[in-house]
Amino acid sequence: MKIRAFVLLGTVAVVCLVLLTLQMRGHIAGASDALALVTTPVQSVLARVNRGTVGLWSTYRDWKNVRAENRRLREESQDLRVAALRVTETVEENRRLRRLLALKESMPLATLSGEIIAREWGGWVRSLTVNRGRADRVARLTAVIGPDGLIGRVVDVRPGASIVQVLTDPTSTVGAHAVRTRTQGIVEGEPRGTVRFKYMARDGSGIQVGDLVVTSGAGGLFPRGIPVGRVRAIDDRGSALFHYAQLTPAVDFARIDEVLLIVGEGNHDLAALFAPPMP
Amino acid sequence: MRTFVAVAIFGGGIVHATLGPALRIVDVAPDIPLIVVVLLALRRGPEFGCGAGFLAGLLQDAASGGMLGVQALTKALIGFVIGAAGGRLRVSQPLVQVPGLVLLTVLEGLARFALLKVFHFPAPFGELMTYVVLPQALYNGFLGAALVLALTWAEATRERVS
Repeated sequence: MKIRAFVLLGTVAVVCLVLLTLQMRGHIAGASDALALVTTPVQSVLARVNRGTVGLWSTYRDWKNVRAENRRLREESQDLRVAALRVTETVEENRRLRRLLALKESMPLATLSGEIIAREWGGWVRSLTVNRGRADRVARLTAVIGPDGLIGRVVDVRPGASIVQVLTDPTSTVGAHAVRTRTQGIVEGEPRGTVRFKYMARDGSGIQVGDLVVTSGAGGLFPRGIPVGRVRAIDDRGSALFHYAQLTPAVDFARIDEVLLIVGEGNHDLAALFAPPMP
Repeated sequence: MRTFVAVAIFGGGIVHATLGPALRIVDVAPDIPLIVVVLLALRRGPEFGCGAGFLAGLLQDAASGGMLGVQALTKALIGFVIGAAGGRLRVSQPLVQVPGLVLLTVLEGLARFALLKVFHFPAPFGELMTYVVLPQALYNGFLGAALVLALTWAEATRERVS
């Protein structure tokens, strides 16, 4: 090893020891100040760089956190929206069931509530499947109603379900009369999903748009006074024997979920139970 | 000379005092100047190691507000010893690097403590060793090994490119 290295080490050691000795005796404030003149500006620059780097890193971390939070909040918002929809749905269901219950309780006839579990809306046949069947002693041709009016009749009874032919079924016919004019007629379903009121021309001269048509009770199949629909348009066929009135059904068949099956017998007028009828 | 000055400044106490806190793990900061001095001494020999250690230590003393000359002397000694023994050490192995740096840090701590005692500076040995020197020695060991690996990789890349 070169002697120069040892000389350097010795020099360094001596310098350091002198520095330490002078410091112990309080004579080196000037040297410290001189070193500080060099170190302080560099320290300031490095501190700024450090702060900048740390700041950049914090910004990046904040951004990442914000992104994660944003994702979390979005999921939370979606969950809340779903929950709100569920609540709305429950409220709506509650309202429907309350109406149905009110109708059931005010009915002078024995009824059975049922839930619609399937719909057939093809055009050839228009029917609903209700979760009440043979086990519930549901009979064929049982009248089926909702809080707004007549839905149809049971045409097929199965062990756990019944098929309800709705008013719009092309083969459905219901004896009815216009409340205001007492015009008797038949409500028929049409293939296009509409309902018409067929009446004799000589009896129906006074029928107007907006008139309420209810079941007549003739034939004993449906109790009297259940709303069927309102006259939407009149098809005056001149000298023909029968005229027709297009009806808007009292019940929205596409939206109904719960029904009442009238299982009791008796000749009652139910008109008062459905007041006020739809405008 | 320019490298010498640059290394002495940036590898010295200023970097340690300024950027050291950012590298803290559970209140333990690495002694970056010591690692730099050791690496330089291994590559450039005892004179360079001694000079770099002196300058780095002096600046570290100045930046930290401690007694001027303590770390200058201990680091100069470390630089000199490692520079002199470098040829005989197999320092390319991480199994040597980590314990080697741990040992050097402990030795530097002991030397610093001894120097402070000589100059009647109050320093509790047990606490210093337990809470400062040993944790820092471990940190230095792993950080130094990581630096060596990084330097080796950088050199290999440079050689491949050129």
